Amino acid sequence: MGISPSTKAITSERAFKTAAITALALLTLFFTGIVISMVAYTDWGTLVSTLMSQEILFAIKLSLFTATASTIISIVIAIPVAYTISQIEFPGKDIVDTILDLPIVISPIALGAALLLFFNTPLGVGLENKIVRFVFEVPGIILAQFTVVSALAVRLLKSTFDSIDPRYERVGRTLGCSKIKAFFKVTLPLARDGLIASSILTWARAVGEFGATVTLAGATKLKTETLPIAIFLSLATADVEKAISVILILIAIAVVALIILRKISGRMYQI
Amino acid sequence: MCIGDFSLTDIDLSVGDGEYFVILGPTGAGKTVLVECLAGLYSFRRGKIWIDGTDVTSLLPEERDIGYVPQDYALFPFLNVAGNITFGLRVKDAQRNKIRDKLLTIAHVLGISHLLNRDVRTLSGGEKQRVALARALATSPRILLLDEPLSSLDIRISKYLRLELKRFHEELGLTTLHVTHNLMEAEEMADRMAILNMGKLEQIGTPEEVFFYPQSETVSDFIGTPNILDCDHYRSLGYGLIEAVCGGMSIILPYQGDKVRRIALFPRDIFVSTSKPPGPEVNRFKGIVTEIKPFSSLRRLKVKVGENSLLAELPKDIFEHMDIMVGQEVYLILKLRRLRIH
Repeated sequence: MGISPSTKAITSERAFKTAAITALALLTLFFTGIVISMVAYTDWGTLVSTLMSQEILFAIKLSLFTATASTIISIVIAIPVAYTISQIEFPGKDIVDTILDLPIVISPIALGAALLLFFNTPLGVGLENKIVRFVFEVPGIILAQFTVVSALAVRLLKSTFDSIDPRYERVGRTLGCSKIKAFFKVTLPLARDGLIASSILTWARAVGEFGATVTLAGATKLKTETLPIAIFLSLATADVEKAISVILILIAIAVVALIILRKISGRMYQI
Repeated sequence: MCIGDFSLTDIDLSVGDGEYFVILGPTGAGKTVLVECLAGLYSFRRGKIWIDGTDVTSLLPEERDIGYVPQDYALFPFLNVAGNITFGLRVKDAQRNKIRDKLLTIAHVLGISHLLNRDVRTLSGGEKQRVALARALATSPRILLLDEPLSSLDIRISKYLRLELKRFHEELGLTTLHVTHNLMEAEEMADRMAILNMGKLEQIGTPEEVFFYPQSETVSDFIGTPNILDCDHYRSLGYGLIEAVCGGMSIILPYQGDKVRRIALFPRDIFVSTSKPPGPEVNRFKGIVTEIKPFSSLRRLKVKVGENSLLAELPKDIFEHMDIMVGQEVYLILKLRRLRIH
């Protein structure tokens, strides 16, 4: 009576599942393989001593500091930007939205080069001489990271604000909140977990930033050497142990970030 | 008043002090938009809103003293029940002991004192509704706006909560505007009601007026196209029964009231038979089919009985089985208990 599925349907369903699971297994194996092979290559004694070296400790501190600074700046700016794009209608919104997406798809080294060229214009030179030096300096690292990750922060926060029903804010208004108060007392608390998750992803991306940083701030030992730049420098001098130890630090940072993300997305508000 | 292609036009509505007013309309009629306009959440191009003799049209939502319970309640998930209820008072920087007093009073009135420390995400539908109501009432608004307050609840709870809402309203005497797409809900709760369709008010009146005197085809369709019979005269038969004569049809029905003006009956409450049905000849009539129209999966027959033209409804398969044609003679049986009297 056509109640059980035909053999053909079963076969095709199985073939599809097998293909999908194979792809999944291969990709997972590929990534774990890379990490494992590197760990296998590591001489743990050298690893600890490189970690404790002045150069790497400096790179760790510099990376954590610059990534945190650029993330804070990015998030503070991205909150109003993302809120505006998500909740407010204005003419030319599509164009603005597209422009804000550009840094995500443009190669970071191109962004870094563009920044470098900007600091050669009269305005850029004036900025350098009168306010802060960026080129080949630590503020340059922060600016380079900000340029690359701020658009990502906007994108992530926009999806957070998109998921918030505007009705919450409307209820807040009828309960006596001004527009600004409703934003701080209703929307921001609702966005809390999305905000933390976006900050972590933005920060992780900033820690790993290389292309724009190296172009604008250069790769000077004990001055503008962040962790990715340390990898670059140690490979350039064929110091494989050092490169591996830094890679492992970056992997450890990434794993911690992802674990925290998991925890947060597990408890996010269902709104 | 325009949002995109949608517009509300010619909304001329006045709601009396302490009245329970229901706005009834199908999905997409503009009910939520109307409520949000009243709350000041949309600005509109033409028109005025007055509350208590003051023009509030240009006031911001936070200045209007309106209690708003949106559809699905929108309780703040980052606050517990007490935090939700006191939100408005805290925003307005009320004194701490005043906030506490108000919280306890309102929780007591709404019967949610035991829920104050609960996470709002763990509440049942009915509890959520009461908390949302408490939150809206805590700031002592002049008007209460309820947007589909019962539609997300299951039918049994929603029937019970209708009574409860009505009781709260009677206790507090607060002017209330309740929006719904549910006819039964509107009839049961409204002091007066308005029918909203495609952004226009079709009719305003008491539920009885709307039901027995629908002013347009849209209204009649929306309330289920009842057959409405004008009664010429009636007499009591004793035992709580009366015989009403409506356009040549003599209908016997239980009634205790003092006057029978109109009788209404839905098309689905009229049985159709091609042969003379057995049993006592009460509320059965012979008539001629004058029109047959498809109506979703049903067939609607217009049957002329005396001076009246009655609309009856049949499922399509039964209709086909009976093989009824225009001009044919059929028997109609009226469901006694479904007759409504005005």
